[in-house]
Amino acid sequence: MHISDGIINLPVCIAANVAAAGIIYASARGTDSDEIPAMGMTGAALFVVSLIHFPMAGTSIHLGLFGIAGIILGRRSFPVIFTVLLFQSLIFQHDGLITLGLNAINMGSGALLARIIWRIKKLPEYIRALLAGFTGIIIPALLMTAEFIITGYESAIAMILAIYLVVAAIEAGITLSAVVFLRKVKPGILNGSHADHKQLK
Amino acid sequence: MRHDLADRYSHLDSPVHRLDPRIKIIAALAGILIIVSEPRYGEPIPFLFYSSVVIIVAAFSKVPPVYILKRLLIVSPFILMAAFFYPLSVYLSKSEFFLENRQIIISAGLTILFKSFLSVIILIILGSTEKLHRLLHALRKLKMPSLITTISALLYRYVFLIADEALKTSRARESRTPGHIRTGRIKAMGNQVAVIFLRSWERSQFIYKSMLSRGFKGEFPDMEISRLGLTDIVFSGLFIILLLLIRIFL
Repeated sequence: MHISDGIINLPVCIAANVAAAGIIYASARGTDSDEIPAMGMTGAALFVVSLIHFPMAGTSIHLGLFGIAGIILGRRSFPVIFTVLLFQSLIFQHDGLITLGLNAINMGSGALLARIIWRIKKLPEYIRALLAGFTGIIIPALLMTAEFIITGYESAIAMILAIYLVVAAIEAGITLSAVVFLRKVKPGILNGSHADHKQLK
Repeated sequence: MRHDLADRYSHLDSPVHRLDPRIKIIAALAGILIIVSEPRYGEPIPFLFYSSVVIIVAAFSKVPPVYILKRLLIVSPFILMAAFFYPLSVYLSKSEFFLENRQIIISAGLTILFKSFLSVIILIILGSTEKLHRLLHALRKLKMPSLITTISALLYRYVFLIADEALKTSRARESRTPGHIRTGRIKAMGNQVAVIFLRSWERSQFIYKSMLSRGFKGEFPDMEISRLGLTDIVFSGLFIILLLLIRIFL
């Protein structure tokens, strides 16, 4: 899912960086200091999960959990995902430096859309969780395919989509079990009140 | 508890290690930009020169070549796939065009490979010659939004928190059910993951509370006073100028 430097052409990368900066500004505006530990912790969880690789169809893949990030953090998930990618780029070189904005937009959009789906209160919760988990992966995969097509890679890239359909299905299941678990044990996280110490004030 | 995540070779001493982190980030970014924007697809000579400049810097940095190759190998599947997909997708969509220009298209695929590999090597050198927290401070000074750098600083610490909890719960599980678990293994693992998440979540809240009570205002103070020296400018200037010369004149 991560795009390295030198694969997508430069104008697309630069435009994506500018757009990502704009989205970070919009989504991070008015962040309260109470929200910061939840953002850091979710970021750390995403980072740790991304370290666990398992082989699939010739390459190794890892879970993204962008759906869960979107459910827990809402629009604040975008700067968090950007930070996680920055880490992966500096420590493991999974992303490039120039493609950082592009990767952030791909994966961040997954989280943002997952959040929108999560907020459709008419649907039962388990369906919303499944859909959010699925969207969190499939949107990034679709965006990545579109970028490859813009750059000049054509039909062959569709094969990647097939792999990500499987990953998205797995993530849907994991998101569902996470939501069921959190609802039972710590529903505050799902309702957007991350800061337990708010009550102390 | 000590966990080795990023700073494995950052304690070495070399000209590259000694560079100011700010100028190192700028040089790495400029280097990657120059190499990626190279428009001559399928010409080997410029890439030969780019590679030698990057390899010289790598040699200066004293980071073991085996380590760099290992890191490169880990990220290469996706790059290889992209480089291989380019000729393949041209072949699938326009097979006649492909057969006529086979040489050019295949070498274009190789160009993509080289661009990506060189960028990754530059990033490996950047990441392994500087302590991560100094890189983050440098990014802050280079006008990265403070929210991003604060989250990164917390994220970095919380990763070790999670690792600690993982170690503790694994030890607890091992002491109760030693050896391999056959039945219900996935359920046990799922429960363990849930416990790790919850406990580190609670601990992170406590830690943040105590940080706030000790006067944390969202910014990590930088204790080190760093000044750009002449060697910083000469070394990274030379790196950028050499790459630019190759890009423009060669």
